[in-house]
Amino acid sequence: MTDAAPPRRAKLELLVRRDGDEAGFDIRTVGSAAAWVKMRPQRVPAEHFELAEVTSRVDRQRSFILKNTQTERFLMLSEPERFLWDQMDGRASVQDIATAYVLRYGQFDFELIPGMIKKLQRAQLLSLTPASRLRYALARNRERRLLRAAETALTALERINISSRRVQPFFRRAYRWGGRLLFTPVALVVCVLLAVAGFAAAAKLWRDADVAAGFGANPLLAIITVKLLFILTLAAHQIVHGLALVHYGRRVREFGFTFLHGFLPTFYVDVTDIFMASRRARVVTAVSGTLVHLAFGSLWFMLALRAPNGGFVQAFAAASGMIQWQAFVLALYPFCFVEMDGYHVLVDALGVPTLKHDAMAYVKSLVSGRPASASRRQAGLWIGYVALSIVSIAAFIALNVWVVIHAVS
Amino acid sequence: MAAPADIAAFLKSVKLFREFTDSELLAFAGRLEERNLKPRQVLFREGDPGEEMFVVRKGTSIISKVVSGRIEQVLARAEAGDFFGEMSLFDRSPRSATIQAETDVALYVLDREHLHLLIEVNPRAAAAFFRSLVYVFIERLRASGELVAEITRWGLEATGLDMESR
Repeated sequence: MTDAAPPRRAKLELLVRRDGDEAGFDIRTVGSAAAWVKMRPQRVPAEHFELAEVTSRVDRQRSFILKNTQTERFLMLSEPERFLWDQMDGRASVQDIATAYVLRYGQFDFELIPGMIKKLQRAQLLSLTPASRLRYALARNRERRLLRAAETALTALERINISSRRVQPFFRRAYRWGGRLLFTPVALVVCVLLAVAGFAAAAKLWRDADVAAGFGANPLLAIITVKLLFILTLAAHQIVHGLALVHYGRRVREFGFTFLHGFLPTFYVDVTDIFMASRRARVVTAVSGTLVHLAFGSLWFMLALRAPNGGFVQAFAAASGMIQWQAFVLALYPFCFVEMDGYHVLVDALGVPTLKHDAMAYVKSLVSGRPASASRRQAGLWIGYVALSIVSIAAFIALNVWVVIHAVS
Repeated sequence: MAAPADIAAFLKSVKLFREFTDSELLAFAGRLEERNLKPRQVLFREGDPGEEMFVVRKGTSIISKVVSGRIEQVLARAEAGDFFGEMSLFDRSPRSATIQAETDVALYVLDREHLHLLIEVNPRAAAAFFRSLVYVFIERLRASGELVAEITRWGLEATGLDMESR
């Protein structure tokens, strides 16, 4: 008897013409799995289904009956399946839904979502919408030169991804050779002392020094240089996240560099294995990376204070300190529509893994004049999240504009 | 341009001419024109008019068909000994796909006039040519069937559609 070979994954080979270059092209191979995780499952409109809750009298387990009012077909859903059903609103991709599921239940079965999607498709309760909406909108407006250029640039940047999946030995070695010291009480005390010293240095600089003068004739160029240097420190941020994983006995699955959403240069580390650890481990992993910016920022401010007053070194160090502290606040501050470390800590603490998603959907329903049903507590949480995020982003932009104007003038 | 004897020696290895005798090949080779393509050079595009078919002497060309906008599906790669372009030669329809060189490519060109000459001057060789052509068409039909099945499988996998339980 011979074992049948597993079926080969189907692939499409595509030739993509380069814009403005008659003969130029790129060959891309697209696997079906890559397309699948980007699909956005869209449940049928609310008027086409009914959902009822039933509780077993034997084991008190809750389950749900989903009815397609068009076809009169019924489906029994478990509580986790009900959670998945709620996510399938056409905005979240299969990948997003899987992440939300892990955050909610702390575990993941790779067959669960495909199985659920098949079940819903059989009952004609679901359709699948492909790919990113931004890319879809750009593709539809290709006749406009500016949008075509934006699409080309995004495509080119998205292709840049330098990463490795064999990083666990590197992180283990780094942890053994000193990385573990970062997760000791001494490191925490040093961090607090650095923060205090940095804050004192920043306050003294603000009062006494003419920091902006040091940038001389090219303040904008200097600010850009500071930002580029800052990008490098993002690598340190991600490495500390990875070390935290090793500290809690989990595995770092990937480390690399890419352009987030096609335009934000960033380093990243795959920390999904931490979901299998305790809540304390998840919080420490999230916060430890951001503390890198607090420490770097403090060191920069201390250097700026010691540098000659009004000189380039002082200006450069002060600007670097400011950007590091901004990064620290931004990464830890949960109300800015960006799902960064602080957001993950907040949703973990609240037990609401889809906070941003739910809040946006609720506020959108309010704006359209058809408010979705929600308890008072939920409505308060969602409105509070959106309002705080809008105010915070406005304040952040205003601060940056003010800093640039102050530096230029 | 290679000597007719060299061309004939090459054509002997091409499926399309496998039933030709040496003298028929030599006579036929003398009428072929050679054309060279640089990497990325387009020979013709889908929708262009066409009156010629091509036999690949060396190199690789990509045969592709527009899917949408700037995206084309790669149908096949034509390599040494393969031929293409015969559809427009016979039914005078526009080209059904785009041919673009992937590497340096050398081709032999056979136009409608040369084909008619072959039929008139050497009906036996022409019959052998068409018989071989039918075999190649059968192979291509099978390959097209495989491609359709592969693409259908891709669609099913990519959308997660479960047809077995429907």
